[in-house]
This record gives sequence, C-alpha cells and structure tokens, in this order.
Amino acid sequence: MIKSVLIFNQLGKPRLVKFYEPLSTAAQQALIRTIHALVSKRPDFLCNFLSTQHHSVSANHHAPDHTHSYTLDPDTRIIYRHYATLYFVFLVDSSESELGILDLIQVFVEALDRVFENVCELDLIFHFDEIHYVLAEIVEAGLVVETNLKDISSAVAEAKRLVKPVQESSRLGIGALRRGFT
Amino acid sequence: MFEKSLTDLIQGLRANKRNESEYIQTSLQEIQAEVQMSDMHIKSTAIDKLNYLHMLGYDMNWANFNIIEVMASSRFSEKRSGYLAATQSFHQETDVLMLTTNLVRKDLASSNVMEVSVALDGLAQIVTPEQATDLFDDVMAVLGHSRPYIRKKALACLYKLVLRYPEGLHAFVPRLKDTLDDPDPSVVSSAVSVICELARTNPRNYLPLAPKLYHLLNSSTNNWMLIKIVKLFASLTPIEPRLAKKLHGPLSQLVCNTSAMSLLYECIHTAVVGDIISVPIPVQDNTGRDVDFAELCASKLEMFYESHDHNLCYVGLVTLAQLQARRPDLVVNQYNSLVRCLDHPDLSIRMRAIEVASGMATRKTLTKMVKRLMSQLILSNTIVLQPSSTIGSQISNTDDYSDDYSPGNGHALPKFDSSGASLTSAQGSIVSPRSAAKGNIADPADSPEYRTAVVNAILDMCSRQSYANMTSFEWYVATLVDLVYVSGVDVGREIGEKLLDVTVRVRQVREFSVKMVRRLLSDSTLVSHIIPDSANAKVLTTAAYILGEYCTLVPTSVDDVQILLPASLGRLDGDQQATFVQAAMKVYTNWLQDVSGYWSSDIWELVRSVTSSVMTRLSELVLDSSTSAEDRDTPNVEALVAAMPLQASSRVRQFIEITKAVSMATSNMSDSAPPICSELHSLFTVYELNPVSAAAQGKVPVPEGLDLDTPIGDPIPDTSRIVMPPSPPLQSSQTRRRSSHSEKTTSKPQRDRKNDPYYLGGRGHSEKDELSSRRDQDLADLPDVDDIPVVALDLGGAQKMQDQAAKTSKGKKKKSKSGKKHHRKTRERSPSPPPISVDIVGDEDMPDAADGPAATDPLKAGSAQQQQQQQQQQA
Repeated sequence: MIKSVLIFNQLGKPRLVKFYEPLSTAAQQALIRTIHALVSKRPDFLCNFLSTQHHSVSANHHAPDHTHSYTLDPDTRIIYRHYATLYFVFLVDSSESELGILDLIQVFVEALDRVFENVCELDLIFHFDEIHYVLAEIVEAGLVVETNLKDISSAVAEAKRLVKPVQESSRLGIGALRRGFT
Repeated sequence: MFEKSLTDLIQGLRANKRNESEYIQTSLQEIQAEVQMSDMHIKSTAIDKLNYLHMLGYDMNWANFNIIEVMASSRFSEKRSGYLAATQSFHQETDVLMLTTNLVRKDLASSNVMEVSVALDGLAQIVTPEQATDLFDDVMAVLGHSRPYIRKKALACLYKLVLRYPEGLHAFVPRLKDTLDDPDPSVVSSAVSVICELARTNPRNYLPLAPKLYHLLNSSTNNWMLIKIVKLFASLTPIEPRLAKKLHGPLSQLVCNTSAMSLLYECIHTAVVGDIISVPIPVQDNTGRDVDFAELCASKLEMFYESHDHNLCYVGLVTLAQLQARRPDLVVNQYNSLVRCLDHPDLSIRMRAIEVASGMATRKTLTKMVKRLMSQLILSNTIVLQPSSTIGSQISNTDDYSDDYSPGNGHALPKFDSSGASLTSAQGSIVSPRSAAKGNIADPADSPEYRTAVVNAILDMCSRQSYANMTSFEWYVATLVDLVYVSGVDVGREIGEKLLDVTVRVRQVREFSVKMVRRLLSDSTLVSHIIPDSANAKVLTTAAYILGEYCTLVPTSVDDVQILLPASLGRLDGDQQATFVQAAMKVYTNWLQDVSGYWSSDIWELVRSVTSSVMTRLSELVLDSSTSAEDRDTPNVEALVAAMPLQASSRVRQFIEITKAVSMATSNMSDSAPPICSELHSLFTVYELNPVSAAAQGKVPVPEGLDLDTPIGDPIPDTSRIVMPPSPPLQSSQTRRRSSHSEKTTSKPQRDRKNDPYYLGGRGHSEKDELSSRRDQDLADLPDVDDIPVVALDLGGAQKMQDQAAKTSKGKKKKSKSGKKHHRKTRERSPSPPPISVDIVGDEDMPDAADGPAATDPLKAGSAQQQQQQQQQQA
C-alpha cells in the first residue's frame, strides 16, 4: 500500500503533501526534510529506490517535541523520480512492486501533463488543489484505483465542468465585492 | 473589503520571500477573520489558503469546524475544497469528526456522481471506527452504483472501513469476490488491490479466491493488476503448495511474452520465491525449444542486473540473491556480471551485489574475488597510505597492490597509517583526489557500511563450510592480517575471531599464523595507538593470545615478551590486559625453558636481566592502569595491583610471583639451570586446547551434589604474614569479587588489604627492588623453594586461565558448524584424519545429548565448564 505521495523541488519546498496515514503537521514537515536530504544528494545515475533500513529515516530529527516523533516502518521504501526541478516521491510498503511504482509515477506525471498541458513547477504551485484532485483519481486511501490515463483525465475533466461556472466569476477577483453590493 | 484569492496569496508569498513568515502571519490573521464570515465563498477561499499554508507546515487544526461548514456547502467546488482540507487536517482524535457522519451520508446518496466520489475519497481518509460502523451500509449500497467510476472508488473506501470495522468483512468479502467478475476492468483492478491488502494480514482466508485470480492472470492485459496478482500469489504459494504447479503455466507464458519489465520482474521474483522454478515441467521459449523454467528465469534475470538502468540492476540483484539461495548452480557462473555490479557507483547496488558475492565464491574464484574486494578497500580514499618504517619492504603504491598482490605472499604487507584504520580519526586526513574527479559524490567504497559488508563478505566466503573453498591457508592468514590494516571500520572482533578460528582449527598454518601475529604485535604504529574499544585492540588481543598459546611453534625470542607488554597496554580494558599478560607469561616461561637447555653464565645473566626488565614492565603497567593521583602517590605496588581490573590483576599478580620466584632461583650462578626455569612452561601445556562447540556445555550433566553456593573452605583469616595462598586464587574468586566490589564503594580501605592473601603487609614498599628483597626475606623462612605452593597456584590457576582465555575468545566463535568434519569426544586428543589436504579441527562436543539452554551464552557456558572441570579435578 502507498503510505504517502510527496512532490518537492530541489530546494525541498513542498509542492504536494499527501499522507494516507494520519501524521501531525510537524512530523510531516520533518519527514519531508529528511527525505529531501536523502534524495536530493543522489545523482541521477543512482537507483531510485531507498530502503529505510539502510538509511535512517525518522521524522523526529527536527521535532524536539516528542509527540511528533514518528519513525517509518522498517519495511517502508522510498521510490522517487526526478523530473526537471521536481522530485516525485512515493513512500510504499513491501506489498508494492518497485518497478510498478516507478511506472505509476510516470502515469501521474503524464496525467498532470494532460491536465495542465506541458506541466511545469509553476502550474503545481498555483494549482496545488488541482494536483490533489488528479492524484485522487489515481490513488485513493493508499490503494491504486486507476492507471489508465484516459480514464484519469476524463474524470478530472468531468469534475472541472462542475466547477467552471463558479470559478469564472471568482476569477474576476471581485466576485465577493459584487455579491456584497447586490 | 477585498479578500485575497488563493492565487493572490501564492503570488504574495513569492513576492515576499525575504519576510515570508511575517507575510504568512498577516495572512493567517486575515484567514482567521475570513473563515468566520457567513459568505461561503469567502469561507471556502480562506480554507483553500489555509490548506496551502498547511502544506508549508502551518497548523490548520483550529479551523476544523469551519472546514466542516465548507464541506456542507451546496456548491461542488466549495464542497470539494472542504473535503480536501478535511483529509489533510483531520485525524482520528479530531473532536468535530462526529459532525461529519450525516454530511457524508447525504453526499454518498447524492445524484451528482462527482459529489459521491468526493465523499468516498474524503471518508476513506478521515474514517473513525464509529463512522465506519455507521456508514458501512451506505458505502456498501454505493458499491452497486451504475457508474464503474464510483464502484472502483467505493471498493477502496470499503477497504479502509473494514480496517476500522472488522465485522464488516463478513458482508464485504462476498461482494468483493463478485466484483472480480465486474465488466469494467478498472473495478476489477481496484478489487484486486483491495484483496492484496487484505490478504497481507491473513492470506489463508483469501485462498478460495485463487481460481478467479488465476483466471484473471490468464486473461487480463492490465499490467498493474497482473503485477498485483503475481505478487499476491507469491504470498499464497507457501500456504498452498499445489498452486506452484498451477502457476507454472501462466507465469512461464508471461515471462516469455511480456514486454513490460516491471511485470517480467515480478513474475521472475514470484517464480523464484514461490519455488515455482523447481516444478519439473519444461517451458517452450520463444524459439520453440524446451528449457528448464529455472534456467529461463536465470537468463531473463541477467537482462536486469546487466542492464544500464540502475533500477533494473538493483531489483535484478535482489532476486539473484533469492535465486542463489535455491539454485546456487545457476548463479555461480555470473562472476563477471557481479564484478561489474560491485564497481557500481551506487551504494545500494553494491550492497546487494556483495550479498550475492559472498555466496558465489568457489575454490577457483575465491582468490580472485577476495583480491578484487581487497583492492576496493585499498583504493578508496578513506585510508591514507604511508610507508611504514617498522617493517622493511612494503608496498606503498596502491595500484601495485591490485596488480601485483600475490596470494601467499603475506610477508609483503601493505602498510597504512594506523590512524586510518579508524574512520573517525582519519576524517581529518582524508585526501580525496578521486572524489574530486568524480564530482562531489562520495565513493561508495568510503562508506563504513559498505566496508563492513565487504570485510564480512571476505571473511564469510573464506571460512564458509569449514574452509571448503580454501586453497592456501597461509594466503588466508596473510589476508586477514592485511584486513587489519585496510578495513578502516570496526571489524576487529570479526577479524580476530577468524584469525583465531583458522589458527586453532588448521594445525598446518599455526606456525605461519604465529609469525604473522608477531609481525602485527611488533608494529609500533599499530600498537602504540590502541584504545580499548578500537578495532585494533580486539585484533591485537587475539594476536597476543595466539602468540602466547602457540609460542612453542616458532623459535623463541626474548623480544616476544617485550612486545606482549607494550607501553600502551595500560590503556586497554581488563580482559584485554589479562590476555596480553597471560600471553607474556607463556612466552616468558617458554623462553626460560628454551634457554635452560644450554645454560651458561651468559645465559644466567641474560635471564637475570630479562626477568628484572619484565618486573619493571609489570610495575610500570600497574602504575599506568591506576588512574587516580592518590593511587600514584601510594608507593605500594601490591595495593595498586589490587586496584587494577579484576581480570588483569590476578594475571599480573601471578606473573609478578613467577618473576620473583625465578629471580630468587637464579640469584646465584649455578652450573645447570634451576628446575623452575625448565619446568614453568609445562604448566601451560598440560592440555591442548581444542575448539569446543558452543552447544557442548549444555550436554554436560550436572554432577550430583554439586553445590556452588556454599563457600569453599573457611573464610580467609588475617593473613598479612602469609606469603602464598593455600588455595588457587580463582577458587576464591567469589570472595575476591566481593572485595573488589567493596573497594569501589569504600575508599581503598586498609581492611581489604588485610584480607588480601597477596598483601605483603606493613610499611609500604615503594620500589620493586625493595619489594623483591622483602620477598626474599620472607621466602627465606620457608624450607625449600620448590615446595613453595607455586605449583598449587599455577596448576589450578594457569590451566583455568588458559581455559578462560580460550573460552572468552573461542566462545564467541561460530555457534555451530554444519559441515563438521570430526566429531570427537572430550579428552580424546588424537589428531583426526585429514579431509583433503589439511586437517581442519571441528568443534569438540559432548557425546550425550541433553538440552542445554546455557549454550546460548558462550561466556556463561565457559565459566560453568570451568567449574565443571574444577569439580572433576577435585574428584
């Protein structure tokens, strides 16, 4: 099962934080920092799997408050891909196939690419909620529910159609103001 | 009032990089006001903004109630924002969660497909046990939705629900089974994912689903789902072995035909770990030939670990290790591929490769592989090469090592700065020309983790199956000694154990071993830097033991006594000191015995001077190991000996007694050597020490009437005038231990000295000369030198000490040897017939089987055995 999906850039700035297991905000941030430290120093000619047994990954490094301490299961593995300025990181347990998850990350990126047309980091920054909705079409509750790109993008498009009318007016930025006058 | 939109907030954040936290604080204040407003649009925008800040690490729990308000919005976009915020913020203890139950129920029943989907997503994330119980039926109803899109999401949601509400499984599993027949492939795939997760905790319950899954395996083309099914079968095969034969067909077809590397890999992996490769049915490969499935898997696996894709290489090695465990014959010829992986720049890949490497060495390849691994250790940057002046001809150029290093030529030791042997101390002096050339990536050969793995792999492949692969034991011993210099990590204990193991078990190599350890101990750079916990201290202690125990095998040298009492000895811990002193005692007495064969006045003088220098060294050692200034001021050697660690003090005391006896016996020149000179060493060689199986002790029956609790004899009276103890010192070890304990608690009390049988009493003997003259005086009262109960002291004590020294080092050795060459009874010391060319002594064992939990603790077993022997001797 998938425990977490993270996107952060080379500097460690989070662009997507999704944990399928409850975790305090502080512990989440500490874990992201730890994983960023591990992943960002690996050049591209190294393999994209990290086992937490060989690398001490725990979230309590930077959280002195012990209520936030959280250590990953020994059977957790970090599987990541590096695209341009971004790292796409999946934390999974041993029931997932390493190579399968690498393919899944590719599916996720291609789905984002379809939604945003030539996706780049700026798209992710300004539409952080949209990325969540795309991810929700692929992974739900840590289980993969869809790997077919066509089905993923059509579901995202269907939801978008429901949103559009409202967003058009709010895009003007003074929607609330106008409502206030009427 | 103009509210910031989410875009405004993000733009603002980017514009205010300098004072970001300030900007965020202002924004949070605005958000706090906005979520209170009645306008749902403002409220939901505020929640969106808050959610964004949450991603950056700002808490949003305080807005949980407002999140629920947004979730209840009638507009889809706002509802979705609310649900998203809830999944990010809520956890099991969130108090407002109970307010969401009816809301979710309403959304699940919505006619809007997207609302149902959002509710399913949200519920799967936030569900509590109460909600799971309340909403289980509602979600089960959604499972019958007309849209496959909802059905597949409901399945994943139900998985989370039954985790919190296990009673739901009874209703859920039959429905789950039905959905495997769903016309929509996505729904089937989702069902398979759920089954895989459920089967992880209890695979047996999902065996009945095997036929359906088997059918999917044959018919589906969805690679993701096929991977899941193949992985699921890997966990089902062990509990239902008949599956292996069934799976042989579809798996071999997939292995032959699939083009997806991920699926191919999982098929091979399952075939290997599920032992499907051993099903004796041939497979038709692409060219129509019949091949063995195992061989087919092995050849397909080659594509992985020989690939330039590092990920494929890594997983390939993982499965190769599994394949090796089952079919070592298929792996053994992969030497060249493996060597490439061993040189891979990726540490993870190397670690995996080294796992396989240690198992694949054969008689032919062993030397080559060890050489290869050794050169990795040497060529890294961790070790700073430095020609040493202590030994003449050394290799100082690393490149020479890998080319010219010849097995068996142990005399050409590569010498390194001994400080390099400890990573921590070497850090300051790392020269890194190679890493500079490679970019700023550390060479994996520098990683302590990797170096430890390499050393362990070398040790493992050499000693595997009672040295089955070994062709030259001299080469092996030389390699072990080289490892001391090049390992660079704390593997001293392991190297020491192997060194002792090979020396004890292989008689032919003992002489060479002794020469090599003498070389180690003579290396002043190595010895002068030892500290108790360092790797070197552990190896050198073992080396000292070997030199002492087998000193008769090499020409005696009086220098050996000196190198076993190095100036740095006082820095070691008690056990290590004891081993060194004990070894020095053996070497010294052996030398005495040797020189008494050609006694002359020159020899007599030599004995006098050596004995007195040994006494000097011993008193220096005693002074060294006393730490407090107060002790140093006390000019009483005996008091200081008592202050030494218990293990060391008894050895030092015995050695002092021996030297005193010798110096007294040789006080006048005589025509022939005094008997004490020629006889002392025989005290150490009464029994030959053989390796004892760690389980042997458990098989020794406890003798009837054995009582270890009652003190032996009466309490020792005030014996300040008695020179020699009436009983061997170790027999009173309980009393000694108690007294040494009280020494710690009280401040070196006089009464301790009074109770000490070794305490000479009276008025502080400052110098050793004064001490010995004093002793001479005392001894003069006794009738005959040879009647001095030195015999009692040594027969019991020395033998036991030998035993103990052997136990402490040997007890930690390999617990058991599967390929035991000889099974010998205790006390039977006849040499066993050589298996091939060399005689490898197996562990001694007890003939009678008895359950022995004591065997788990070798040290405990050792001491129990000691008591056992004591009993036997008394009987």
